Amino acid sequence: MMDELELLKKDWQNKEEHLPKLSYDQIYKMIWKKSSSIVKWIFYISLIEFVFWAGINIVFSDPESMQELKAMHIYNVMMVLNFVNYGVILYFIYKFYKNYRKISFTDSSKKLMRTILDVKKTVTQYVWFNLIIFAITMIISIYGVLIFGPQGKEIIASAMQDGNEATFWFLVITVSIVFTAVLLVLIWLFYKLLYGILLKRLKENYNDLKKLEV
Amino acid sequence: MNKELEHRFVTELENNQNIVHKVCTLYTNDRDSHNDLFQEITIQLWKAYPKFRGDAKFSTWMYRVALNTAITLYRKSKKRVQTQDYDSVIFKIKTDEYDDTEEKQLKLMYDAVKQLGDIDKALVFLYLEDKDYAEISETLGITEVNARVKMNRVKNKLRTILNP
Repeated sequence: MMDELELLKKDWQNKEEHLPKLSYDQIYKMIWKKSSSIVKWIFYISLIEFVFWAGINIVFSDPESMQELKAMHIYNVMMVLNFVNYGVILYFIYKFYKNYRKISFTDSSKKLMRTILDVKKTVTQYVWFNLIIFAITMIISIYGVLIFGPQGKEIIASAMQDGNEATFWFLVITVSIVFTAVLLVLIWLFYKLLYGILLKRLKENYNDLKKLEV
Repeated sequence: MNKELEHRFVTELENNQNIVHKVCTLYTNDRDSHNDLFQEITIQLWKAYPKFRGDAKFSTWMYRVALNTAITLYRKSKKRVQTQDYDSVIFKIKTDEYDDTEEKQLKLMYDAVKQLGDIDKALVFLYLEDKDYAEISETLGITEVNARVKMNRVKNKLRTILNP
């Protein structure tokens, strides 16, 4: 085997004349082309991520919704939640930016892959955080509607009349948990697929280097 | 100043383009992918160039950026199409210079190397380029001992591919 690799090495080094040759102008044109690297993709996806979740918050903060929240007496809770939410979003954007800047193709392969995976980790954490906030918001809203909303009062009243209050609450809680869980799983699957396609190879390569250390 | 930087970069890359072509040859199977990867490496080299201090050789620095791009680049085609036509152009072996068995052996070897994973390929590439273990370990970000261990495993892998 040793000899064969040596043979290959000799042949390899004699091969230069068969390689393509690009001219100065051809190379010059290339330096202004857009990168299609995975890092670029992750950057764009992350931007969409930040805009999307921040957008959802803004959409649900219109004056009408605010009035409804006040009527349902969950306004204060929601405001605190929103406040925390924006703070954390800013923190994530800062962390993402910092990690993204660290990506350098002049690092060693292992370090480069680690930094790329770290950027992705920040985005994943951001998404998880948003999902949790989303779930909490949903649960508080359901609670608010049922306790303070006009239709909610009717529903509860009729449930009371029928005399199966415990069953009613049990159903409400079960349905909200199942609904939230299904939503979370769907979104989780979407990300798994998205980053799975993008980063599968990178992860494999990273683990290939990483497992040597064990 | 910027024009000067551009000129210096393009000239250096033009003179050292073989390194990039060789990486592209190992990591791609057809001409289009070869050109795509070449372009992506060029972009990454250019982006990193302002930080290139010149304390390392331009070529040494190129090896790192080129391999890193090949290893981390996103490629759509998951299936590796075995198109030998392009390989045989690049890896053309002059028949009259070698005897037949050696030619066959080389062909098998090149095919075997192409079947390796991205990291293993990087290792073989640096080995073929006559880099020592110190440089290999530094480029990949592993210890020298681990680079040797990994190289031995790659040799074993090649052996298995060649003698199934």
